[in-house]
Amino acid sequence: MTPGPLLLGAAAGLAAGVVAGRWNARVWLALTLVSTAAALGAAGSLLLGGAIWEFVSTFPIAGQPLHLRLDAVSALFLALVAIVGGAGSVYAHEYWSNQDYPQSAPRGRMWWSALLLSMGGVLLSWNGLHFLIAWELFTVAAFFLITLERQRRDVRAAGWLYLSASHLGTMCLFAFFAALAARTGSWELGPMRERTELAPLFWLALVGFGLKAGMFPLHIWLPSAHANAPSHVSAIMSGVTIKLGIYGLLRTTGWLPLPVAAPWILIGLGAITALFGIAFAFAQSDLKRLLAYCSVENIGIILIGLGGALLAVADGHAVWGRLLLAGALFHVWNHGLFKSLLFFGAGSVLHATGTREMSRLGGLWRAMPWTAALFALGAAAISGLPPLNGFISEWLVYLGLFDAVTGRSPAAWAAMPAAIILGITGALALATFVKAGAMIFLGAPRTAAARHAHECGPWMRGPMLVLAILCVAIALAPVVFWPLVARASGAWQPMWTEMPVPASLFTLGSLQIALAGLALAAGLTLWWRARGAGAPRHLTWDCAYAAPSARMQYSSGSFAGIAGGWFAWLLQPQRQLRRPRGLFPAIATRVERVPETVLELIFTPVATVILQVSTAVRRLQHGRLQYYIAYVVVALAGLGSIVVLGGRS
Amino acid sequence: MNSNVNLLVGLAIGLNLLALGSSRLPSVIGAVAVQGMAIGLMPLLLESDFNWIVALVAVGTMAVKGFVIPVLLRRAMRTANIEREVDPSIGFVPSLLLGAGGTIAAVALARALPLLPEHAGSLLVPGSFASVLTGFVLLIGRSKAIAQVCGYLILENGIYLFGLLLIRTTPLLVEAGILLDLTVGVFVIGIIVDRIQRAFDSLDTSKLTVLRE
Amino acid sequence: MNAFAIAFVEFVVRLAGWLVLAPLLPGIINKVKAWVGGRRGPPVLQLYYDLARLWQKGVVLSTLVSPGFVAGPAVAWVAVLGAALLLPLGPIGASLSFHGDVLLLIYLLALARFCMAWAAMETGSAFEGMGAAREVSYAVLAEAALITAVLALSVHSGSVTLVTMLTPAAGAGAVLLAAGLFTVLLAENCRVPFDDPSTHLELTMIHEVMILDHSGPPLAAILHGASMKLLLFAVLLVEAVLPLGGLSRLAAAGALAAGVLVVTVGVGLVESLMARLAFRRVPLLLTTAFLLCLFALLVAWKGGDA
Repeated sequence: MTPGPLLLGAAAGLAAGVVAGRWNARVWLALTLVSTAAALGAAGSLLLGGAIWEFVSTFPIAGQPLHLRLDAVSALFLALVAIVGGAGSVYAHEYWSNQDYPQSAPRGRMWWSALLLSMGGVLLSWNGLHFLIAWELFTVAAFFLITLERQRRDVRAAGWLYLSASHLGTMCLFAFFAALAARTGSWELGPMRERTELAPLFWLALVGFGLKAGMFPLHIWLPSAHANAPSHVSAIMSGVTIKLGIYGLLRTTGWLPLPVAAPWILIGLGAITALFGIAFAFAQSDLKRLLAYCSVENIGIILIGLGGALLAVADGHAVWGRLLLAGALFHVWNHGLFKSLLFFGAGSVLHATGTREMSRLGGLWRAMPWTAALFALGAAAISGLPPLNGFISEWLVYLGLFDAVTGRSPAAWAAMPAAIILGITGALALATFVKAGAMIFLGAPRTAAARHAHECGPWMRGPMLVLAILCVAIALAPVVFWPLVARASGAWQPMWTEMPVPASLFTLGSLQIALAGLALAAGLTLWWRARGAGAPRHLTWDCAYAAPSARMQYSSGSFAGIAGGWFAWLLQPQRQLRRPRGLFPAIATRVERVPETVLELIFTPVATVILQVSTAVRRLQHGRLQYYIAYVVVALAGLGSIVVLGGRS
Repeated sequence: MNSNVNLLVGLAIGLNLLALGSSRLPSVIGAVAVQGMAIGLMPLLLESDFNWIVALVAVGTMAVKGFVIPVLLRRAMRTANIEREVDPSIGFVPSLLLGAGGTIAAVALARALPLLPEHAGSLLVPGSFASVLTGFVLLIGRSKAIAQVCGYLILENGIYLFGLLLIRTTPLLVEAGILLDLTVGVFVIGIIVDRIQRAFDSLDTSKLTVLRE
Repeated sequence: MNAFAIAFVEFVVRLAGWLVLAPLLPGIINKVKAWVGGRRGPPVLQLYYDLARLWQKGVVLSTLVSPGFVAGPAVAWVAVLGAALLLPLGPIGASLSFHGDVLLLIYLLALARFCMAWAAMETGSAFEGMGAAREVSYAVLAEAALITAVLALSVHSGSVTLVTMLTPAAGAGAVLLAAGLFTVLLAENCRVPFDDPSTHLELTMIHEVMILDHSGPPLAAILHGASMKLLLFAVLLVEAVLPLGGLSRLAAAGALAAGVLVVTVGVGLVESLMARLAFRRVPLLLTTAFLLCLFALLVAWKGGDA
């Protein structure tokens, strides 16, 4: 079946969903699932070898002829949109149900459909103006989804921050597409590498798309938006929508000529984003904020891969560039899958306990075994550990960097620091997710809320299970997914169409299977051996302390104390300490908070200054006609003097 | 022969990092002493035929930098009852990273410089830059006077290393002059340290800011 | 078929070698410590007795733990064993070798760390939280040093495959690399001066405090895995420095064994002659190790240019 009818069906289904969402949850769910399945089918058929689908109509929309096109790069992202979109709609059926949220649930369903539809539009548009329209629509849809719970003040603040930051990005993109259209004479997009005078436009695209992707230091909107949105919205935002920023960068770098410095800047920004993102993530004590910062880190890894691939292109299409690009594209998928899984898990925890603060949780594995097991799987995967899928993409990126180094090309000077930073980032990610998993699910419950938690229902468990299975599938059979990614690489860089599966990936895939099997066998053997002995249960060794309390457990802050301290210059944590005093000390407190450092210490002061200046300038605008006439006269005189003086010289 | 010199310069660079990373004054002084000896040995290795003046200067340098100055510093430390901890204002790990980054930058810079072909493979120039930088980091990032003297000595070692490039053409008197300067400087500092200690009961230069007028 | 049988036998011998020889190392270290301290010390085979005894014993579990408490050590053991099997042994090569296997080795060690830290956090004890936090935090710096060391080897040999990386004669930076890797070995295996394996104060430990609540067969798996990890790092260090590839099989085996013995005795001597560092000093030492590896990398790069 060609993608055309499938895509048309998906679009129609989602458009119907926008209407149906207001009235019936089940009809909406069925419509959304069918539509996402159709979109997935279209993307899959193209990635599996189908021809590029193209649709051109002379019928103008907003003055421009409609031009839709689905190639392998779009299909790769469309598949992710479809999977997470479908899973999220099932999850929302229980998580944001009509019973719990009679006001906002219908609104949420409506905007969810609109979000999916507009993201599809972004991926398919081959016309700059339509791309911008779809981009704006999806930004707005995401804003309404973030602010579903708009009676809460912090949700509203997060929403406004998101909207204003996004519009800064959209402004850059508007300038980018408009300048492009002005110089080429058409809004049509497509490869134009030979027109070298377009190269400087890349910087506009970098800011616009980088802001959406959450590139450091433009990530300021991301943590609060992802933390305060409902969890299924956080999942699709972290897993998918920030990837559209990557999609934009992929398109720009694939089509346009680039400034010479661009690959170096990209790889450098990627390294900084990865390291700083994970440093912030490690220091967070709010679960969803931690996951949000971790998305920043993963965007950094993808940018390292993309920047390295561009270096390889500049270096004469070196082979290692394909590994880096494949690693980046794999990571787009992998991160989309396990980050959505983790946000769903976080949502279940929030649903069951009502708090995102990790130091108020603990011991939830007993009440929520499914969530705990799936979260643990996602945590191991996002830490890039074998035998899971995160390792596959990180391994490809590492391998590309190492090959660039051993090839002794000039790119090695970027690849060596990037590889070292990637290593540090990986170790910090591991620490972060040991902390997150352990604080929530292990040990003893720290509060009553954690003690009375309950497992989530099948509608929430099902999507998590599906995502986990997909993670495991990519992990154990990377060679099956390689051709799909290779096709996207070919669409990005026509010289790279021939990308056979690397022999080492075959070996790695089989080793992953062997490792998974052995780990399972060893775990079961030891568990059986332990149970076989009867395994009496006793209290944890407490050093003979008389009255242990659950609050004595290591907390999130204490766990992050050591490595977080090394980054104190970056994180600028705020501490309040009240020491115990006197013979019978009553109250002693210690509060530690990691602020949104970049936002609070850099952006806000700068914005304040700008605001003050503009307030001062606003006094010129007072409504008195006489003065306005005076302005005109002064301006005319000024212009005239410029003309006269300019003419004289 | 060049490889021997490079080995010594490598040793000097390692001692730079040791001086940056060590938390105790005696080990900083020890690092400076060993570095002085290593640097003093170099003229002998650089000159292919034996030369009395060169030998004399080499022995003199080794004696002064390796024994006299360290002994003076140790004595100053003992008589002034200075605590042995270094007390940094730039932490050890940052100063270590600064020193290492500076060394790498020095290697890159030396490649870019238009050097004589016989000096192209030599580590003398990067070693010199790295030592000067280390000296500055110590001077900026340590508050104890003795540690600052050590930074000054390492800085001087860096200048001396650069001077070795010109060993064929410049009279060694220049080096001797530098050495003399330095010795006088250390003597003066030694005396001042003693006086300050008696007057203020402390050698922490960060407490000596009142006299800035 | 015959070739397959030979390969199979070789694999089994290699596996048995790793499994059986690993517990020797802690015994040798303890013997060296006792010898320096003028005591007779426990027998070299003490760990074997301990392992046998622990495997016989029953398990006591904390009331708080999930099955992950027992599965963690099992997976960690498998991961370390897998990493060990990836390591080539001189001219005999590795049982399985592919482009980029060194990265799998590093990440298998990370997997072991994840599982051990996870199992430690299961108990909810503040002691074990302390140990796990230290383990994963210091590993950040150790990992930087290890990746840099691997980069140095890659640049020197022009390869990302362990077999070819570890064969050529060590370059000019071998001393730097050896010092850096030895420090990483001490840190990753929680030896003095990073951690004191013989201490009995929970507040000052890393590895030992993470396994306070383990008993019976899981504890045996942990101890055996730790000894395999020590052997792995020792073999890696020796092969990175000694050019075993050029020797005959017998000579290489002898050189490897002698090298590992030297490293082990070195660990014992360090342990006898040095005190444990204050924890705030640990990052400084690990940064030094990283810088040593970094300079080894630069030397390797420069060496290839000339």
